Amino acid sequence: MSTQTQAPSSHERPGAASATPAIEISGLTKIYGSSETKSVDDVSLSVPAGTVFGFLGPNGAGKTTTIKILAGLLAATSGHTLLNGYDVTRRRSAAMQQFGAVLEGSRNVYWNLSAWQNLLYFGRLKGMRTAEARSRAEELLKGLGLWERRSESVGGYSRGMQQKVAVAAALIADPPIVLLDEPTIGLDVEATRTVMEWVRTLSRDRGKTVLLTTHQMNVVEELCDRVAVIREGKVIADLRTEELLSQFRERDKYEVRIEGDLPDEALPDGFTAKAHEGTTTISGRVSDPQEVYALVDRLRDRRAVVQSLAQVQPDLEDVFMGLIKAPAHD
Amino acid sequence: MTTLTPTADRSAPAAIAERPHASTYLNGFVNEVHKGLLGLRAGWREVLVQMITFPLFYLLLVLFMGRGQLKDDLLVPGLLGMVALTFIHEQVNRVFWSYLGDLQSGVLEQTYLTPMPSWVLVLGRQVAAVVSALPSALSVLLVGVITIEARGGNTPFDVQILVPLAAMVLGTCGFALVLCGLTLVYKRIEIITQFSIAIWFIAGGTFVPLDKMPDVTAFLSRLILPIAPGIEATRDILLGGHSLTNLPTGWGLWWVLLQPLLLVAAGVVLFGRLERVARRRGTLGRY
Repeated sequence: MSTQTQAPSSHERPGAASATPAIEISGLTKIYGSSETKSVDDVSLSVPAGTVFGFLGPNGAGKTTTIKILAGLLAATSGHTLLNGYDVTRRRSAAMQQFGAVLEGSRNVYWNLSAWQNLLYFGRLKGMRTAEARSRAEELLKGLGLWERRSESVGGYSRGMQQKVAVAAALIADPPIVLLDEPTIGLDVEATRTVMEWVRTLSRDRGKTVLLTTHQMNVVEELCDRVAVIREGKVIADLRTEELLSQFRERDKYEVRIEGDLPDEALPDGFTAKAHEGTTTISGRVSDPQEVYALVDRLRDRRAVVQSLAQVQPDLEDVFMGLIKAPAHD
Repeated sequence: MTTLTPTADRSAPAAIAERPHASTYLNGFVNEVHKGLLGLRAGWREVLVQMITFPLFYLLLVLFMGRGQLKDDLLVPGLLGMVALTFIHEQVNRVFWSYLGDLQSGVLEQTYLTPMPSWVLVLGRQVAAVVSALPSALSVLLVGVITIEARGGNTPFDVQILVPLAAMVLGTCGFALVLCGLTLVYKRIEIITQFSIAIWFIAGGTFVPLDKMPDVTAFLSRLILPIAPGIEATRDILLGGHSLTNLPTGWGLWWVLLQPLLLVAAGVVLFGRLERVARRRGTLGRY
């Protein structure tokens, strides 16, 4: 006997077009066993539908724990997780229909089965009819360039192809939310590009919500609309990507390139110099742009030939490193 | 260039089934059995090796028991025990190792990311294991029958044994459920699986009838070993010529039927509890 849901009442109506966040995490805490350490400490996040959300943090920060709780694989000590308004614990079956996931370190699919068999298996497991699963599997395998090799065992595929099958299995039921835990780990440049292309397509063309964890900041910077950084189980930043970058832009960094070497005594305080193949790059942060002019004047006095002067925008890696190295505040 | 062709937008599903339809459960179950059989087909070489080694083991065992001679009075009872032992060995090992393999490769977690309840999948896995255990068990039976007939003997058969056989299959499923549950929480429990096979071999009534064992051993075997009452009943029917309703050894038909049901009930309860523990500890995937 199947039951159609009432619109989630205590929260909001599910769906990308509504105001309900696709992913909502509130007060999430996880303590393993009798440990006093909180692997996840009162984490709250809200991811609007259609967003590509980057969830970043150093190893052991609590990213995978959070994702596993979100996926219903791990019980939280306290707090709630909702997927399109469905509580993962209380309305598990409905919540499970909201997402597909590729988990880090896991094979995700059966290596002794072929790509085709895997997709049909997971499609039917997710409640699809066989004909529907076949049609969708064909569409995905053709789209991912695996159609010609669909009958081969996944175990014989390259790492990139295996990851493609894992992503295809996560997408087989066309879920509105996709959780990708380190989807590009171990992939070569081309395969990483492919994954990034999928994510972009999923989000921009299909309106999917994507929650992505990765250590590759270029991937995040290129794809993510919003970024949260977790450290020691606590979320220490949760902003739109450009806002996060602009916050760090306050401490502007400048870079001056000159021909030849520069004696150390000519280097102003707070600046560093790096010589490489006949040029020297002087860089440092300034609180007042006048300091840059003073530096240039000083270089001119020494008859240095200035090749370029540029304001260095912080990239996400700088921001990330700045955040995770900053002293913790409770 | 890799593309994902847009289909109808399902980013905002309008109506979601809170619980899957009964037909969805059935599809999930059939799907799981199908996957298990695909695995069986993929591993046909291993099955072939087992279909040779298990009958050889049976013949060697009868030779050993007959002090170097294939004695007719040992071939039939030995065959009963060996078919049952082969079957349970295969069924339990297949369920356990496939479950452990999925746990360690992380694929098991993916099966939890679906609306399908885990019991449906475990049930499907059990049925696939039962089917997968048949080639080896049947090969022992075939070699046994050929040997007995070739020596001028007669292989007894009575349709009534289907009842204790079914009871053994069910009881083994219950035991395998407990093993699967333990696998979810504890590492390195394969020793339990191997130990249990040894116990069935020694005290399950497969080669030494329970009524020839010390009372305490026979009591405990009948009480908890999933194949013991079934084997005892099969012996009574085939070797003693008794009817199912009038089994002279053991605790009678009611226990042959009740024990596997109790084992399955215990398996379901324990599996459910251990699964909850695994969710708390985060051990559904250990890769």
